[in-house]
Order: sequence, then C-alpha cells, then structure tokens
Amino acid sequence: MNPRNFLLALALALPAATMAQPVRADNAEAELVAATDAVVPGRPLAVALRIKHDPEWHTYWQVPGDSGLPTRINWKLPPGWSAGPIDWPVPKRLPVGPLMNFGYDGEVLLLSQLTPPVDLKPGGQIEFAARADFLICRDVCIPSGADLKLNLTVRDVANPSRRAAQFIATRAMVPQRATLPDADATIEDERIRVSFRPANELTRLEFFPLQEGRIEPAAPQLVRVEDGRTAVYLTAAKPVAAEFSRLKGVLVADGGPARADQGGWASEIALALAPGKVARIDAATTAGGTVRSTSITLWVALTGALVGGLILNLMPCVFPVLSLKLLSLMQHQRAEDASGVRHASMRTHGISFAFGVVLSFIMLAAVMLALRAGGTQLGWGFQLQTPWVIAGLTVLFFVIGLNLLGTFEISIGSGLTNAGAAQRLRSDRLSGSFGTGVLAVVVAAPCTAPFMGAALGYAITQSAAVALLVFAALGLGMALPYLLLTFFPSLLKWLPRPGEWMLRFKQVMAFPMFATCVWLLWVLAQQVNVNALALILAALVLIALAVWALGLAQRGTRVWRWVAIGAAGLALYAVIAATGTDAMRAGTSTIVDAKSGWQPWSPAEQQKQLAAGKPVFVDFTAAWCVTCQANKQLVLNSRVVADAFARKAVVMLRADWTNRDDAITRELARFERNGVPLYVVYDQRGQAQVLPELLTERTVLDALRRL
Amino acid sequence: MLRVFLCGVGMLCFALVAHGAALPGQPAPEFALADVGGKRVSLADFRGKFVVLEWNNPSCPFVQKHYGSGNMQALQKRFTSEGVVWLTINSTAAAHAEYLKPEQQATWLKQQGAAPTTALLDPDGALGRAYGAKTTPHMFIVDPAGKLQYAGAIDDKRSANPADVKTARNYVAQAFEELRSGKSVSLAATAPYGCSVKYP
Repeated sequence: MNPRNFLLALALALPAATMAQPVRADNAEAELVAATDAVVPGRPLAVALRIKHDPEWHTYWQVPGDSGLPTRINWKLPPGWSAGPIDWPVPKRLPVGPLMNFGYDGEVLLLSQLTPPVDLKPGGQIEFAARADFLICRDVCIPSGADLKLNLTVRDVANPSRRAAQFIATRAMVPQRATLPDADATIEDERIRVSFRPANELTRLEFFPLQEGRIEPAAPQLVRVEDGRTAVYLTAAKPVAAEFSRLKGVLVADGGPARADQGGWASEIALALAPGKVARIDAATTAGGTVRSTSITLWVALTGALVGGLILNLMPCVFPVLSLKLLSLMQHQRAEDASGVRHASMRTHGISFAFGVVLSFIMLAAVMLALRAGGTQLGWGFQLQTPWVIAGLTVLFFVIGLNLLGTFEISIGSGLTNAGAAQRLRSDRLSGSFGTGVLAVVVAAPCTAPFMGAALGYAITQSAAVALLVFAALGLGMALPYLLLTFFPSLLKWLPRPGEWMLRFKQVMAFPMFATCVWLLWVLAQQVNVNALALILAALVLIALAVWALGLAQRGTRVWRWVAIGAAGLALYAVIAATGTDAMRAGTSTIVDAKSGWQPWSPAEQQKQLAAGKPVFVDFTAAWCVTCQANKQLVLNSRVVADAFARKAVVMLRADWTNRDDAITRELARFERNGVPLYVVYDQRGQAQVLPELLTERTVLDALRRL
Repeated sequence: MLRVFLCGVGMLCFALVAHGAALPGQPAPEFALADVGGKRVSLADFRGKFVVLEWNNPSCPFVQKHYGSGNMQALQKRFTSEGVVWLTINSTAAAHAEYLKPEQQATWLKQQGAAPTTALLDPDGALGRAYGAKTTPHMFIVDPAGKLQYAGAIDDKRSANPADVKTARNYVAQAFEELRSGKSVSLAATAPYGCSVKYP
C-alpha cells in the first residue's frame, strides 16, 4: 500500500473506530458520544447521550414538570465498568396550554461518566452499549428509544474527539452544586420564598424544581430585590405535603451559564424549608423583579403586532411617506385612466407595497435574530443608537425634501400615451411601490408604538419562527390600509381629485421631511460632539450643491454632472468623518438635567434609593423616541406632576437609552421590554408598578397618590 | 391597546386557574355535562355513591399503557361491580388533532372492552380545569358525601411501558381499600404522570 492510500484508509477508519453512527429514533436522532477518541486506563471516560430533536419536538429534563417523562439511559457495560448518573444541563421551560414542562429541544448532550476497572490495560477495543428511553413530544407524545453502541480503543494517550467542544459547552450548562451565600427558604401555606445574597446584581432568575409534585410548575415565579437580597417567590403544589421540609431545585440567573459573559449562572440548591411569613405577591403588579413565565399566547402577540402595525401608519415620521405614496397612487390611477389600463393593476400595486413592508419587517427580524444569535443585546430602535445610521437617514430625508421641492427629478420617462410606455411605467411603479414599502418601514422603526413593546419583547424571546411571524404581522398591519385602498379603489373617491394642487402638496410635503431632518440632527447631537455635527451640516450643504447640480445636468447642461459627483463624494467623506469613532465619543447627554430634579438612572442608584425606603420613579427614555419626548413635555414636565413628585419626595431617575447602554437594556428586559418608553414607579417597599406607555397627568398622579 | 396588554396579563391569571385544583378533603367541584350518548350527567346525581373520575385521551401512550395491558378495564369492572360510578373524561380541545367526537370516543372505549359507567367529553376544558387535571391519565375519587378523597397518578410506576403495570402499586385501588375499611386515605394526593391534557 502506498503511503497516500494508507493515510486515506486511516482517515476513513479513524472516525469509524471512535464514533458510533447516530440512530434514527422517532422524530429524533440519538447517539452515544465520547469526549475523547480513546479510553485511557485509570481515567474516567466522559460520555453522553446526544439527542438531536426534529424541529418542534422535545424530550424531558430529570423532572419533567406537569407531564412527560425524564429520559433514561440503561448502560450495558463490559465487566468492571461502572456508570455515573446523568449530569443534566439546564433545561428550557416548555409551556403547554396552562401547563408547564421542563426539557430540551434542538440538540442536547446528557452527560455521564464511565469508570474503567482498575486493571484495564492499553490495547484492544471496548464496546459500550446503552438503551436510551425517552418520551418525545410535540403537541402529541411518542414513547421512543434507541439501542446505542460506542466503540473505543484503549490507549495510553487520548485526543479530544470531534464532540469535545460540545462536551465543554454542555458541561458549563450543568448547574453547579455550589452553595449560595446566605440562602434560606420559607413556606407559608402554598407560598414559598427563597432568598439569598447574590454576589452580583441579578436581573433575571428562574427556578426549576428537582422534586416531582412539590412545586407548581406553571405558577408565575416572581423575583424581587429586598434589602440587598434577591428573593424568588414560588408556589407549592396543593395540597402541600406534610413531609415537604426540604426544597431542592436549580436556580438559573440572568439567562444561565450560556450567558456567562453577562453574569449568568446556574446553581443546584437544597434548602431546609422553614415555616414562616411569606408575603402575598400579586402577579398582576410586577414586584420589583421579573414576572417570569410570560403567557402572552402567540395569537395575542400576533394581534398586538397587527394593531401595532396599523398604528404605525399614524406615526408622525411615517405619515409623510405614506401621504407621498398615496399621491403616487392617485397619479397611477390617473395614468391608467389616460392609457385605458384596467384597475386590476392597482391591486398588484398595493400587494407590491405590502410585500415591501412585510419583507422589510421580516428582514429586520432576521437581522435581529442573527445579531441575537451573535450574542448582541439588541432592542427595537437600536438603529437610531448608531450615529452613522442617523446621519444616513438625515441625508436621505434631506435629499427627499429637495426632490419634493423639484430641485431634481427621479425620472422614469414621460411618454404616457402609448401602451408600451404605460407598461414600462407600471413595472417601474411596481418596484417603486416595493421601495416605498421598504422606506416606510425604515422610517417607522423609531416610532415604537405604545404597547408594541410587549409583543416585541415576546418575539425576541421566542423561537426564530415565532419572531418572524410577529414581525410579519407587524408589517401586514402597517400595509393593511394601503392594501384596502388598492383593493377597493372606490374608497379613493373620497380622496381629493388630482389637479394643480398636487404639485403644491408635493412641495409642501418637503417641509415635514426637513422637520424630520431637524429632529434627526437633534438626536445626532446627543451622540456626537459639536465638530462632528458641524461636519454633518456641511455635508448637507454639499448634498444640496450636488443635488442642484444634478438638476442642472438633468436639464441638459451635462458638465454639471461632474460638480454633482464631486460634491456628493465630499459629502460622503464628511459623513464618514463625522460618524467616525473619535467623533462618536459623545459629550454628556442633555436629557438628564440636574436642575429639573431628574438624576441619571443606574442600578446602584435605584438600589440605594429603594434601600433607603424612598419612592422612586424611573423614566426609560431616548432622544429618538417621539412618544417619550411627548410624555416628557406634556406630562412629566407639567407643573401639577412636578409638584406631585416634589410633595411625595419621589426620587426621579431617568434612564437615557439614546446611546447603547447594556445596564438599561437588561433592566428593560427585566420588564420583558426591549424598547422605550417604560415608566416604573416603586413604592416605599420597593413594589414596582408599570405605567402605560402613553402617559396622562391623571395616570401619573393616581400612581403617586397610592404611595 | 391597553386591552391587548391586559389580555397578556390575563393569561397569567388563566394559568393560575389550572392550579385552582380540587383538593382531597374538600368538596369536589360540581359539574353537569352531556355524556357520549347525549345524556346529561351531573355529579350531584351520584350523591351516596363513590365516583371515580378518569382523565382519558385514547391517543396518549400513557392511556394506551393502561388500556393495552387491560389494567384500566379491570379497575373499571372491579369497582363498578361494587357500585362505584366510573366517569371517563376526555378534555381534549375540539381544535386539537387528537380530538374525538362523542361517537368516536364511545367506539374506542367499546373496542377496548372498557366498562366505565359512562364517558364525558369536555372540549372546552372547563371540567378539567375545575379539577386541575394535568395529565392523561389523572385519577380522582369523590366519596358519597361529595368530598374529594384522592387526586393524582393511577400508580407509582411513572412510565409508558405496559409491562410496568404488573409491578406497580395502584393508588386508586389502595385508596378504595383504605376507604372500605373505614380508614382515611394514606396517600390522598400524588403527582400525576402522563401526557399533558390537550386544553384549548
């Protein structure tokens, strides 16, 4: 055998010798895997049952919750070998209607350790066999299992197997048996309070019971911070058994070990359950911590997203674009009348617009999911936390404004008389509709409509499919009025007749565009320094020059084209320079103004004030959030509200999310939001109350009166 | 808008409804439902008799374990012959793939040689929620005074394997034996096991 063939044979033989083939079970693939490619005498062998579930299917944790069965491994080992118990990684909560299960979907490794006999010598092969039994469920359940084998050679030295990295990652997900500092557990009736002094501040906490039938799996778990301690409130299964004197379970903090970079951990606890007083915590009023186990069903979220999308149409930053679209719609109709085209094409027009909107939302969701997968904490409106996006939008709106004023034309030809031209126009306009749809979405993003936060918070915590569905519903809601108008063109009769006024109207529409520029620049001013802002303004002047030159070029003076290209290039350079990293180092935000009595929010400050027993009002806001600014000007800054704050000696904290801030992002996540505004009032005992996103003086005064 | 949000909060309360479970030692929740034959059945009609409630779903492997092994039928025959009323209840939602029409449920029970007093369908899940039925099977015993005496699993072998029936300790039979001899039920509440009830 020549060396090349030998190597090839070796390469083919090696995986076969060290790895077993996965076995296809019902709706899953099962396999025995080892962390190393060989057995080393005197060393325990890390093995695992690897289950790769088909999409939507899941198997269960060691305590399955309200229904289900834990997965079991029955080892058939060579003489002298012994197997340890399964080391279970942290499970997921899997809600089934009103019930709750704990288990795994996707791919999971159930770890175990095999101990060799003391007299094991190198050389030869060992076959490990095991029978894995598991209940695999979707909305239906199938008891399933597989007979599995794993062959390994016995050698003095072993190398990591190709599953080694997965072993390390899974090992990290197994809860640690570390004792929590200063932990205790109290029970009164069915109410249980577990509390401890966390080493670091926590924002999220979940409890998974290690005892069957002791803790109500689906009951909401409430977390709150009490005098520097973190307390989680659980509900015991009724009737509470007399012998229930020890609480065993797993606490998963801040997303668990998978989020270790953000302080996540999981710990196995076993605490004596002492009878005592346990406060009644109302699930409807968030208690300082997170209301876990969100039960907003998919339908509610989808309906919410649809209504949210509808509302986006009325947002001040969307309406101008949509008005423009309406304008072109009417022109389209007139053109069709002129060229004898039937109105059926209006529908395709509307559908094209709807596609533009829905696809953009789906793209947004896909990007968000991709970034989430990359571990980036991302929330709605984040686009506007990046200076270059804002600068780009400013330029875009400025150019649109100039275009509306007639400085230059986006020309698509003028022949409307022959059928060929009409055809061309129609196809152009279709892509134009799609483009308007896309633009409308880009513009709508900052206007997080009230209550949409809940649906979005829901979407970001869900599977990719659900998140995409919710975003699609959001897009559909936004496109719906348009779709309606195009499908029932008779409604268009109620719109004004086209005529000379249309040109005026088009020109007038330029001013909302310029106003939007002013707003965007104001937002930008919070993020970049004065020099950078001046550069952006200079860029706008250059853009104006470029666009004016382009207009001249379009009217026949070709040489102006070079002026346009030159000015545009300079403008681009200015924008890049202005939003570069140096300029981005923003000065202090102007939103927090010491004179007005508002102080900057920080977890430590909030903690300190609550510990001192003071009532606290937190305003989660951002310069680019229109709703936030309206609430601030109309309600929070009003004399009556300011007086009430002063009278009740409320500590007013403002969390400014204009720029990226991970502490604020996490705090928002604690309330299952990923957007602003959010208004939270803490009373003297630290009980939190969330106010609606659209504030009125009355709601704020009522909330303060209860303090 | 607010309503949509409140609805979300409402779902939390909804989840709690399932925990408003019937407790041993307390009056069993009253109900009146049409059975698979269309006859009205109410718990109050059976005062003076023991009543067994058995949560059932023919598609569930755990239910199949107890019917395939003949275990459930044997219990039904043994206790109905002693004058106990046995109600087999299916709370599967009408929209669920595993939903059976009344005549389908009746046919399945007949094929299995089952001998409950009658069978009830509860597609809106109201009866299941009132009792806090979580799994199929999930067993309840109501005494002649209308008080709940047992709530929980059918036996102590938490598996879907029919072979386990032979070695299992049957909690329902044990409870009846204790009740017949005038004792109180030693294990009045156990954690049920099985498939989740397919609530709407």
